[in-house]
Amino acid sequence: MKQQELEKSKEYKYGFITDIESVKAPKGLNEKVIRFISKIKKEPEWMLRWRLKAYNRLKNVKEPNWQKPKYPKINYQDLYYYSAPISAKDKPKSLDDVDPKLIETYKKLGIPLKEQEKLTGVAVDAVFDSVSVATTFKDKLTEKGIIFCPISEAIQKHPDLVKKYLGSVIPITDHYFATLNSAVFTDGSFVYIPEGVRCPMELSTYFRINASETGQFERTLIIADKGSYVSYLEGCTAPMRDENQLHAANVELVALDDAEIKYSTVQNWYPGDKDGKGGIYNFVTKRGACRGKNSKISWTQVETGSAITWKYPSCILQGDNSIGEFYSIAITNNYQKADTGTKMIHLGKNTKSKIISKGISAGNADNTYRGLVDINKKALNSRNYTQCDSLLMGNKCGAHTVPYIKNKNFSSIVEHEATTSKINEEQLYYCNQRGLNQEEAVGLIVNGFCKEVLQQLPMEFAVEAQKLVGISLEGSVG
Amino acid sequence: MLEIKNLQASINKKTILKGVNLTIKPGELHAIMGPNGSGKSTLANVLSGKNGYEISGEVNYRGKSLNNISVDERAQKGIFLAFQYPLEIPGVNTNNFIKTSLNSIRKSKGKEELDTLAFLKLVKEKSSELGIDEKILSRQLNVGFSGGEKKKNEILQMKILDPNLSILDETDSGLDIDALKIVAKGVNSSRNNEKSFLVITHYQRLLDHIKPDFVHVLSDGKIIKTGCGGLAEELEKTGYKKLK
Amino acid sequence: MHNFEIDSTQIDKIKKITTEEKSFRIKNLEFFKATGFPNKRFEDWKFSDFKDIVDKNFKELDTKKVSSNIKKIDLLRDFEHNYILLLNGNLHSSNFDHEDKNKITINSYDKSIDYKRSKNPLVCLNHALAENGYSLEIDKGYKFNKVLVIYNLFTKDIKNKILNNKNKIKINEKSELHVIEYTINESKSKFINNVYESIVLEKNSKFKSLFIQSNKSDGFFHKFLKNKLSLNSEYLNLIFSSGLKFNKLDIECDLVEENSRCNILSALFLNENEHQEIKTLINHLAPNCKSNQKVKNVLSSNSKGVYQGKIYVKDIAQKTDAYQLSKALLLDDNTEFNSKPELEIYADDVKCSHGSTSGNIDHESLHYLMTRGLNREDSTKLLIKGFLSDIIEFIKNPKIKKFIESMLEKQINEH
Repeated sequence: MKQQELEKSKEYKYGFITDIESVKAPKGLNEKVIRFISKIKKEPEWMLRWRLKAYNRLKNVKEPNWQKPKYPKINYQDLYYYSAPISAKDKPKSLDDVDPKLIETYKKLGIPLKEQEKLTGVAVDAVFDSVSVATTFKDKLTEKGIIFCPISEAIQKHPDLVKKYLGSVIPITDHYFATLNSAVFTDGSFVYIPEGVRCPMELSTYFRINASETGQFERTLIIADKGSYVSYLEGCTAPMRDENQLHAANVELVALDDAEIKYSTVQNWYPGDKDGKGGIYNFVTKRGACRGKNSKISWTQVETGSAITWKYPSCILQGDNSIGEFYSIAITNNYQKADTGTKMIHLGKNTKSKIISKGISAGNADNTYRGLVDINKKALNSRNYTQCDSLLMGNKCGAHTVPYIKNKNFSSIVEHEATTSKINEEQLYYCNQRGLNQEEAVGLIVNGFCKEVLQQLPMEFAVEAQKLVGISLEGSVG
Repeated sequence: MLEIKNLQASINKKTILKGVNLTIKPGELHAIMGPNGSGKSTLANVLSGKNGYEISGEVNYRGKSLNNISVDERAQKGIFLAFQYPLEIPGVNTNNFIKTSLNSIRKSKGKEELDTLAFLKLVKEKSSELGIDEKILSRQLNVGFSGGEKKKNEILQMKILDPNLSILDETDSGLDIDALKIVAKGVNSSRNNEKSFLVITHYQRLLDHIKPDFVHVLSDGKIIKTGCGGLAEELEKTGYKKLK
Repeated sequence: MHNFEIDSTQIDKIKKITTEEKSFRIKNLEFFKATGFPNKRFEDWKFSDFKDIVDKNFKELDTKKVSSNIKKIDLLRDFEHNYILLLNGNLHSSNFDHEDKNKITINSYDKSIDYKRSKNPLVCLNHALAENGYSLEIDKGYKFNKVLVIYNLFTKDIKNKILNNKNKIKINEKSELHVIEYTINESKSKFINNVYESIVLEKNSKFKSLFIQSNKSDGFFHKFLKNKLSLNSEYLNLIFSSGLKFNKLDIECDLVEENSRCNILSALFLNENEHQEIKTLINHLAPNCKSNQKVKNVLSSNSKGVYQGKIYVKDIAQKTDAYQLSKALLLDDNTEFNSKPELEIYADDVKCSHGSTSGNIDHESLHYLMTRGLNREDSTKLLIKGFLSDIIEFIKNPKIKKFIESMLEKQINEH
């Protein structure tokens, strides 16, 4: 076996920090901090009350511990819950009002806001450390009646919509991190697509955690009204840090009759160095409710960052004929741990769900797929197809599949398959003999393994995802 | 082109090649025949640089030793191995695979990489020369290919990658007459003064279509007899045992 | 709850036990008392809430000993066999006339010590109270001439009782034993049968076992079966346990040395509020071992089938070949099938796969059969037989196979 080569040069591409003065809430989690957050965001009374309700409940709820990756106890009092760059305290009226230092940061991230319009046509709502700085394309979207803005803005400008749907898919009472998020969420995206409208472009959000010890608690709410369509991209980067950083987001999707929401994520959090120090803790709650008939929600994700990943994007298939899909690639290397999967709850008739999960473990990493397919008694004629495949590289890593299947309806069909394999040495040899070096060969084979999922990603992300797959597996074949 | 001096190779403490001597000049086509277990595939694997063998002796390619040169580097230097059992790699598009391979090799030579259009043009050209249906290339690499399709795919790759030294490891096994002719055509159409071939075969049949310059018999890890085309015909009649 | 009498005086009544064993039993009883019957909050009992089942079905329960008599039992006539007769779990008599009795040792099983602490409250209860059962050992190099039938008879007077028993089988090097566990239920009342069984296979030995009920009953059965497979040993377990009100068969197989092979297969036909769970845990602890599990359920009228199957592969267990398949056919409304096929793998050069499907009878096939003149009922029965047939193919002895086929036919016809 070849010796592992330490490649210091291929460092985490996005590892840099911006030195901007930040307005920070005092450390700690208490009622004062929550009022501080609500005040600085100029929220109406009902929003503050909602937060406090969640905070009060938090006192009676315990952190869950059934998941496989164990993490060191988080001291919630030792974190800052709000940090915003000063120049963004009062909303900028146009890009020109934005601190040029911030704009430079965005350039480094590869999203030149000013040139966005000409190149890709992707509207970007850049969340920089708890406050949204700039929102482009508002005008084009406003033409169609589409609302795409930071959630803090939506609370003020569209309170009825927010009140109606916030917390309706992930209630405050759901579990510890959902409750925590409900109390201290700082920002996120709000999307509303009106009846019959097909959103003409991919909507996306780039955000990063900057200030040290700030957990990111972002809250996203996407509502697709009858007959509408939207494709939303979530991409994340984070700087290198020594202390672990917490990311506990809540994402709620609501699809009404005949509507479709496509939600794609390419997660590129800092995974911790080769010895497992540092890195992001990614505990996210994502849930989609297919409320209406014939509605459809699909989750596509490529997870390669995070020291610990813990997320189960789910679909509640309420409306008859609704469809839920989950496509995922989870890659863990070095000392990363992932416990991820999905829940498909079939309530309505003729509902369909499809789960394709590809897990790749290398180094000393641990990768667990945890899924639930629950076919309710009344879910006549429903179908589920699940395929989870694991690829192991080396024998110090582990792959674990834990699928729960509950079928209470005799007219429904549930199919589940799982396989485990390794990268065949013979396959590598074959690629080598055709002139590909070890890295290229591994990249090719792994991309082939993940193909079904990669095909689901919107074009912009597919290329970044493929490269990410390659970088994440460096040093894994020795 | 290729100079092998007293090559010994063992794996799992078992010695398979026990002192092979062979010289192949540019433009020559050598055939190696021999009974099962004589070490034919081992020779092919060792020449391609496969890991896992303990080697002693000299192997020189174009005047330079191949010692410590990895499999992919040897491929980039112009050595091609047509596998006896080509592997399946699910999810990987065949065209994409060959393009990546070709460009890797071109890059190492300092040549410009081909873009998709130019590559597809090249593929069309070479596959029609050989009489292979190019649609096979839009499938996943070797997945669900019949034995014949796999071997034809190997020969097509050989034509596209254009190596200096091609080693064919029992490429003729399991082929029907038509497929055999395609393989032969692929080899014959590439022969010139500069390219060399090492054809490993079990049966004389292939050598009816590909005329070798030299025929060697490998038995129990050593070359025990060398001759020209007629030797193959003789073997067909008498078998290997009589040679010993 | 209900009147459940269980105290440590029962342990005092056990004769001939060492102080060590007594304290082991008492510790286990305390553990059982602290947790009670397992409920759905226990991960392993998620789909079979035993506490709830007991509460719903039993107004009273006790663990007092029962002494019963029988005159004679009717032996099976379909094929010649050896037998062991268990009366309410206690060893009553045995007959090995077809074999070389010098090679066989059979005793009442009465020790309850040297067991690892268990998280399963029912196993703890068993460790605390079990007094009887059988211990069977087969000498080296002996292959049985005829199959051994274990008649597991439950008498009429068993009512509202929990019976705790332990059984052990040890098969020494190069020996081979085939067993049919045949349960006969004469009790018309409800009772709980809680068994702990261990099977040790030494190098190069083979063991085949078949589990079947003679008739429907209101028995609530729980069995924890621990198997240890040494070098080159083979284990086959065929489960046809339909007919019980409740059955949980919890099988653990440790493949501790190379080249051992473990096959667990089941074909169940459940109806009328029956609830059966098969749980398997296959631990691949050495390289080159093979395991295969195939569980097939046909469910109708309010029945519930559960399959929890975990395959664990240790990092040194390279070249493991593990395969698992569970399939359920739900015939009508109000049936439920739950499965949790789990894989935990730490070695990379392995072949592991599992599949689980559940659904209704294929309408196309049904239609096809009906167009050939079979009515709906007969077509359904034919399809069910076809569905379960590949499990039956594992029975090599033609007489036994015929016997099992006719039993299954009976079960299907009762539907």
